[in-house]
Amino acid sequence: MNKSFPGVKALDSIDLDIYRDEVHALVGENGAGKSTLIKLLVGAYKRDSGEIYFNNQKVEFYSPAQAFQNGISVIYQENSLIPQLTVIQNIFLGMEHFTPLGLIDETKIYQEYLDISKKLSFKLPPHEEARNLGVAEQKLVEILKALIHKANFIIMDEPTASLSKNEIEHLFRIISELKSNHISVLYITHILGEVFRIADRITVLRDGKKIKTVFTKDVNRDEVITMMVGESLKDTYTFRPPGTKKSQRPILKVENLRRKPRVNGVSFEAFPGEVLGITGLTGAGKTELSRLIFGADKLKGGQILINDKTVRFHSPLDAVNQGISLVPEDRKKDALILMLELYKNITLPTLAQFSDKGVLSSGKEFAMTRQFIKKLDIKTSGVNQVVKYLSGGNQQKVVISKWLQTEPKVLVMDEPTRGIDVKAKVEIHNIVRKLAKSGVCVIFVSSEVSEVVKVSDRILVLSSGKITGEFKRGVSQEEIMRIILEEDK
Amino acid sequence: MNKKINFNVQAYSIKKNGILFIFILLCVLLSIITPGFLSWANILNILRQSSIIGIMAIGTTFVIIGAGFDISVGSLLALSAAMCVGLQHYMHWSLAILLVLIVGALVGLLNGFLTAKIHIPAIIATLGTMTIVRGLVYLYTGGYPLYVEAPDFAFIGQGYLGPIPFPVVVLIVMVVFWQFILVKTRFGRYACALGGNKEAVRLSGVKVDYYHILTFVVGGLMASMAGVVYASRLLSVTPLAGQTYELDAIASTVIGGTSVAGGEGSVVRTLVGVLLLTIIANVFNLLGVHIYVQFVIKGAIILSAVGFDTYSKFRE
Repeated sequence: MNKSFPGVKALDSIDLDIYRDEVHALVGENGAGKSTLIKLLVGAYKRDSGEIYFNNQKVEFYSPAQAFQNGISVIYQENSLIPQLTVIQNIFLGMEHFTPLGLIDETKIYQEYLDISKKLSFKLPPHEEARNLGVAEQKLVEILKALIHKANFIIMDEPTASLSKNEIEHLFRIISELKSNHISVLYITHILGEVFRIADRITVLRDGKKIKTVFTKDVNRDEVITMMVGESLKDTYTFRPPGTKKSQRPILKVENLRRKPRVNGVSFEAFPGEVLGITGLTGAGKTELSRLIFGADKLKGGQILINDKTVRFHSPLDAVNQGISLVPEDRKKDALILMLELYKNITLPTLAQFSDKGVLSSGKEFAMTRQFIKKLDIKTSGVNQVVKYLSGGNQQKVVISKWLQTEPKVLVMDEPTRGIDVKAKVEIHNIVRKLAKSGVCVIFVSSEVSEVVKVSDRILVLSSGKITGEFKRGVSQEEIMRIILEEDK
Repeated sequence: MNKKINFNVQAYSIKKNGILFIFILLCVLLSIITPGFLSWANILNILRQSSIIGIMAIGTTFVIIGAGFDISVGSLLALSAAMCVGLQHYMHWSLAILLVLIVGALVGLLNGFLTAKIHIPAIIATLGTMTIVRGLVYLYTGGYPLYVEAPDFAFIGQGYLGPIPFPVVVLIVMVVFWQFILVKTRFGRYACALGGNKEAVRLSGVKVDYYHILTFVVGGLMASMAGVVYASRLLSVTPLAGQTYELDAIASTVIGGTSVAGGEGSVVRTLVGVLLLTIIANVFNLLGVHIYVQFVIKGAIILSAVGFDTYSKFRE
């Protein structure tokens, strides 16, 4: 089995070959290009150039469905089962056997199910509805579904992200069974401990480039971390240590915040004029923590203090009134009204300020919007442009503008540079530093360690909903990665 | 890049105003075919025929802009009209109108509460209240038509302000007033915004549920007002009054270009939608097209208007 495909943009000429009967691990930091690679492989994205060979034949997939029919199956982090259907119904969906009368042949289906479950030696309740299964069992159902559809190459995208220790063991057993049944597995993960347990070879990606493919037995963990992070960080820019003297009194203090399953007791303090970076793996609870601080979700335990006073947030409005703002992770879903004009998006949180005796003054709104277009250099045809047609970076600037004009004391930014180009990213970093200098407390949440190291004064590492490390400015990316990856299950 | 943006803006405005072009085109065509179409008398006549659905459709526009849906307004019109007629036997007609409008707003409040707080899909919530309200109409009327003799009250539906029929005055004033609310107040802005993306508006620190419910209150209030005009025009109400009026109100709103997905719309364009449907019905009547056929054509027009909107969005 052989695949090669140089792409452009997110990926730069990557050659990858996967052998039959192999478990191949694909590792790399967030944003290294792992997901893009998968999507190109199965035809979810169109590649710019390059070729894919499958079983020594050149193939061209236009959609994941087509790849699936040809024996390449992807198991994503989120499960894709139909919750109301039973295990068997899910497994055989689209591959049902029929009686001569055109009815579903339950007996034949059940027989095939028994055969395959014997072959892979596992037990599942075949007539249970999928929604009643545990996460690991659901993953197993997806694997079975792939096998029934004659997959001989299975891609697993962070399959252990929401599994318990026992469940992970179970999954590993299944993977080795797959291997002995001549099925290749491409295993994508952050967690190096897993890689060393199950993979035959490891491919490391960084910044859209392939660094190396190595045999697992030839390398150790530290070598892989070094490959993931890179030798030196060739920064084109750095920030001088903050000049503003930060107050000794925390503006925001959180104590033992809880909301299961993702936030399990988080405490920290944040000071005016500092950039507090929070990093961790996908699924570590960063987004959930951000939302709790902003009152977007209900707190299930712990408390939030502003200027040493306990506050209770029943809705985001309460948080906004206390001077807290949130730039959410998913700007299209949670921050923008895409079909509305730029100025309407920007003035949304403070609309009362723009109305005079109940009547809105578009003049005032335009003036404020123009001010931010200039200040943050938003590339737009004008205040009336519909935000749908802005680029990702400019959309993010709109979200930031929206909150800046509320003059927040604490600005929480959740993955503020996700999906935007390098230039806009640098601009946003600069905005963050400027804000801190003006006395705002910025909580900069990102899974990209390199940028967290770059902009933060202080860094917290979050793993499984708990803080597992705190660092001062000047810490190396490698050191943080080590703490993050430490949390092997 | 710039070119693309301009193109998009242009396409956007064509889509937004397409119904106006069609409307003007139709009027020009009709004025050629039917002499006297553009006469003052005929225009006023069309406006008067549009007034009841028009007033109701203003409320429907707010509901749909907020990504909601309200099929209870036809029943609510019947209840309002029946109460307006019935209550006059006990009180002054102006007090009766006031009470009726309050009832309308309360039914709207209930619709909004069921949708925004209990999270019943709007179409189902209002299906429930539609049934309940129709039941109340039967209970209130005992199943018989109600009548009233009230020359003062009759002015609302039958009188003239100068040369202009009073229902038309009510319609125009309401269209101007609510268009102003939609474009120039926080409520209007939030209604559009939450119709576009309710969660994003909530995360902007806005009391979204309150404004969401308010759109339904406007829907109920305007349906009641339509009921008052209806009662005054006929001075009698049958328990079956207002049936399928909600469909006309919704049809006019979407033909007027208010997005069924919520987030954008205009009261003025809804009025154009109402007029368009009225004119088409008039012409069919003039041409002697059978009423059964008219239903088929009206349905086709609604599907074309909405299909144009949804398909062009899908293509993006």
